[in-house]
Amino acid sequence: MNQRQRDHVVGYLFVLPFLISLGTFFLYAAVRTLIFSFTDYNLFNTPAFIGLNNYVAMLRDSMFTLALSNTLAFSLIVTVSQTILALLLAVMVNGVIKARGFWRTVFYLPSIMSSAAMTLIFLWLFQRQGLMTELVQFVVNARWYIAAFLAIFLAIQLTLVFNARRRYDGVSLADPVFATVALLVAIVATYLLRLSALLPVYDEQFLISWLNTQARVLFLPQTLWSVALMNVFTTVPTLMLLFLAGLQSIPVALYEAAELDGAGRVRQFLYVTVPSLTPVTFAVVTLGIIGTLQMFDQVAILGDAAPLQSRITLAFYIYANAFPEGAASRIGMSSAAAILLGVLTLIIVYLQRALGISDKVDR
Amino acid sequence: MHKTKILLAGLSLLALTSAASAVDVRISGWGGAEVALVNGLITDVLAEDLKAADINVVYEPVDGDFSQFITNALSAGTAPDLFYTDIFWSRAAFGTGKVEPTTADTSPFAPNLIDAFTYDGKVMALPKDFNTLALQYNKDIFDDAGVAYPTDDETWATLQDKLVAIHAKLPDVNGLCVVPDYARFAAFALGSGWEPFNAEGKTVLDDNFKRAFAWYTGLVPAGAAVAAADVGEGWTGGCFTKELTAVAVEGAWIIGGIRDGAPNLNWGTARIPKDPESGQAGNLIFTVGWTVNADSAVKDAAQKVAELLTSEKAQQWVLEQGLALPSRSALVDNPWLQGDTPEQTVNRVVFAGLSDGNVEPFFFGDLGGAWMEPINTALNSVLTGEADVDTALAAAQAKFDGMAAQKQ
Amino acid sequence: MTDTTLTTAMPAAALRQRLPPEALRRRQFFALGWTYLVIIGVATVMLGTFLVAFVASLKVDPLERPFRIAFDQVNPIAWVAAADLGRQGAGDPWWGGFAPGGKVTFSATYTAAPGTEIVPPEASVPRRRPGSGVAAALTKYYAIDYALLTQTSTSDGEMSVTDPATGASEIWPTRAFTYEIAFDPAKAEGGPWIERTPLDLSAPTSQQLVASTLNPTRFERRGRVASWDNITPGALGLVFNNYRRVITETADLQTGNSLFAGWMWNSLLIAVGRVAMTLVVASLAGYALARLKFHGAALIFGLVLFSMTIPAQVTFISNYLIFRDLGLLNTPWAVITVLVVGSHVLLMKQFFETFPKEIEEAAMVDGASRLGILLRIVLPNAMPAVIVNAIMAFQAAWNDFFWPLVLITSPPSALTVQVGLLSLRRSYGGAQGDWGLVLAGAFVSIIPVLVLFILFQRYIVSNQVSEGVK
Repeated sequence: MNQRQRDHVVGYLFVLPFLISLGTFFLYAAVRTLIFSFTDYNLFNTPAFIGLNNYVAMLRDSMFTLALSNTLAFSLIVTVSQTILALLLAVMVNGVIKARGFWRTVFYLPSIMSSAAMTLIFLWLFQRQGLMTELVQFVVNARWYIAAFLAIFLAIQLTLVFNARRRYDGVSLADPVFATVALLVAIVATYLLRLSALLPVYDEQFLISWLNTQARVLFLPQTLWSVALMNVFTTVPTLMLLFLAGLQSIPVALYEAAELDGAGRVRQFLYVTVPSLTPVTFAVVTLGIIGTLQMFDQVAILGDAAPLQSRITLAFYIYANAFPEGAASRIGMSSAAAILLGVLTLIIVYLQRALGISDKVDR
Repeated sequence: MHKTKILLAGLSLLALTSAASAVDVRISGWGGAEVALVNGLITDVLAEDLKAADINVVYEPVDGDFSQFITNALSAGTAPDLFYTDIFWSRAAFGTGKVEPTTADTSPFAPNLIDAFTYDGKVMALPKDFNTLALQYNKDIFDDAGVAYPTDDETWATLQDKLVAIHAKLPDVNGLCVVPDYARFAAFALGSGWEPFNAEGKTVLDDNFKRAFAWYTGLVPAGAAVAAADVGEGWTGGCFTKELTAVAVEGAWIIGGIRDGAPNLNWGTARIPKDPESGQAGNLIFTVGWTVNADSAVKDAAQKVAELLTSEKAQQWVLEQGLALPSRSALVDNPWLQGDTPEQTVNRVVFAGLSDGNVEPFFFGDLGGAWMEPINTALNSVLTGEADVDTALAAAQAKFDGMAAQKQ
Repeated sequence: MTDTTLTTAMPAAALRQRLPPEALRRRQFFALGWTYLVIIGVATVMLGTFLVAFVASLKVDPLERPFRIAFDQVNPIAWVAAADLGRQGAGDPWWGGFAPGGKVTFSATYTAAPGTEIVPPEASVPRRRPGSGVAAALTKYYAIDYALLTQTSTSDGEMSVTDPATGASEIWPTRAFTYEIAFDPAKAEGGPWIERTPLDLSAPTSQQLVASTLNPTRFERRGRVASWDNITPGALGLVFNNYRRVITETADLQTGNSLFAGWMWNSLLIAVGRVAMTLVVASLAGYALARLKFHGAALIFGLVLFSMTIPAQVTFISNYLIFRDLGLLNTPWAVITVLVVGSHVLLMKQFFETFPKEIEEAAMVDGASRLGILLRIVLPNAMPAVIVNAIMAFQAAWNDFFWPLVLITSPPSALTVQVGLLSLRRSYGGAQGDWGLVLAGAFVSIIPVLVLFILFQRYIVSNQVSEGVK
């Protein structure tokens, strides 16, 4: 046997353990799930073929349509927001020369926590009388002072900027020197206002149901908005790292050329940074889609903190039909929903790949 | 000398064999206040009987949704030999075919409890206790507000007046914590004369139901109550132990909550108030039974343990711990129930609730807990202000009609 | 180009110049400053949340409103008082307790409006069970059976009270009552160490408690009763009470061992097992895909990507049934062997592809087998990738919630720590509202991953990972 043939055999041998794992726990499992979706199995009986009944019942089930719409809306909102935020954060950290490693570590810390621990902390945070509500209460009660602060800041900043623009060229609206001056003046002014008590301060007590509500905002239940907030918190750091790596591989020459063409920071960002990051963005979006479509842990841990229709996602629907609380197992329905979830994920991933974000960077 | 040696050897051999022949029976139930009770039974009250029967009981309480755990365990073949079955989801467990009917003599037990656990003509679980709902009240709050304590003849209207008066006098205290849960609301829904399943087996939310629903959800705007979620609590007992409310609607299990959260609370119990129109009160019977696993290797021992755990001695002891009422008819006229401590009072009232007015078991056939969902959702929508009474009830009725259609 | 256009377009304005260099430098400097500000702000929000949650986990009632930042557990004066009380009770200033020979001095000061008599409160050491779960079943010794309570002295004083409505201040009389709680000498022979010594002081509503050696745990009966769960906590026992409780109050009834500690151990076993299995399988498969040419390599690569897209919920029923039929449900083996994640294979493949081929080819010429090359040459030099893979696998296995939830459900001592947290949340985070325990549990479960992260963060956060994942 020559080297090539030996390599063949060794190749298969090396790959064998992984293939066994993949074959049993993925391929065989997928096929079995497909088969179960056409039966009435309930974990104890012998499965009997019932055709498309499960799919029909599933489509008629209001819980299913809710789970589907929740999952899709959640996926869209979280993927978009976490991609944008991760990019912005990466750009900011990239702009810092010293101690970049330190900031990377600091930002990455929240994402090492398990979803269970994280959800428990957020459950406590988002209680009806919890800390989040107190923060919102504080902001709402102090609204006049916050408004005054912003107004003074903007006024001074704009005055200084337009004043400078009369004499100089290339003064950006967000000029940092003027912004610092404006900030300091606004702080002092607001403090003086507070001392003189010219503006009203309110003392209202609030109770906001972040979790235990059936309200919907823009196709997504309010509960899931709170969960989305929590999700973004934990996933943005990991995605930021991906963007950071991508940012560091953009040649500086591109930026220099853009600067010579007279492009400001914002234009450089839009026309140099974003296009160069296309492959990374694709990876980030794909990861985001895959992760959000599978959202299960948080729903399970929320438990009775929120009504079922406000927190149900497809993944949880699958589990809840396999092991329902207080009723017999419906493996058939569960498998039907599982097949649907798998197909849905594949469609969305390959759709977004085909639609626009290509693998190659466009130069 | 020689003889004693043989005797000793013989005795030790006997001891060894008897120790070796001690059978291990795994039992399981849910966590919470139950744990101390069952553990006390096994290690204290029944210790000698278990030793005499050569049985070693291994108790593994489970926290979380017990029915999910049992379904999973029965399917996996790792279920305990003896486990709790709540009447609420008993159908799901019995329907798996992995449950062994009881071999004990069921005649000493209360008939309606035995009926609750009968499936396919066989008694599948031995009822260990039961509970109903009652009205607990905080004597200090009533004293501070100068309002008379609730009596056993309260009606919905008189109770509402008392709660409104308390809230007016003490603004930081509310009358009752209202929960969107059929398991408590039923005390009023059933009192109105409504029945969960009509003659055709369908659920119709008639005018009686609407009257009870409107009164229950109207307590909050009337100033007599507050939604439990609004004060961050999940059950009426939670508000009660934190002394946020004057009354609570719970069963004897509230004793555990009070012992932990407010050990010095000064409280009493009265019967569920009656509907002024129908003149009746409503109530639910909650009951739990011990079920034997059909796949168990030690079925006979498990049956024996079930019998011991529900014996008169055991039930008398549990009664005196105050957490639940005995399922044996003979223990009904118990002198312990006549005492005056808050625990004895609540148990006495809970016991009276068994036969007072329109009483239904907490059980919904094959539908299980899903049957309560439409009513709970309707309650929640009105309590959170997201819908009005008519819209919410119409939505609930539509869901019930859908359920009935699906069953066919 | 720009200048001339502008001057012709805006003749009214004076000639506009570019900003002078030092102005530009200044702007760059300040821009950097603002970037730092924003980054610090984001970091504060991200880490601050957990810091606040940690502080809340020390509290007796984390849901109290308003959220106090100053409470006993973070007050050094209270720590000293607690340590002192612990020393008096059992000679242990750290974890306190009540043991034979213990003599605890406790004082409480009441005040009443001028003219009202301050009566001595009814003091008692009640029988209090620690929580209604397993701990109640396991507690054998109660302080009430071993404590003798006597009032030793009173002393009078005054305090100034400001009326919030009028702003006027009055002098109110105060009276301090000092008690001694002693371990009954008659039972001191072989007496037990008792963890908690509760105390109740009951007084009429005409007087109020204003000071005491330790702040009461709660006020009951609308202010009439001041209740302490433990007057001999010890310094650590006071601050980390919730942590102590989460470890001791979730206990196995049969053995009395802490369930929480057992869960951590299970998680560790499973994580180590998974890491070992992942490393072996992923290294072999990654090397084969990177270096060895064989039919179907591309297909397998595609399959790996495909398997990473499909969620676990799609395949879980079949996998659950496989383990059920093999009898491996509720054992760690089920969770260890269930699907090796494709991303590890890809990571190793990526790394092996960048490894210089020459060294391997040289070894092959010398007659080494592929396996030998892998084990002796490639892997030792692939330490960074291996470490990264191991850490990511450990993290994923430790944090895994879904598979242990499905595959390990009984007995309670076999759960992993994540599923145990769910169980904790169900028993304490809902109707009971004992959030301190829940938060403490969450933080204890983070410790191993946190330690690993701090030790190896430069590997985890490095560029290599990002390249690999891409």
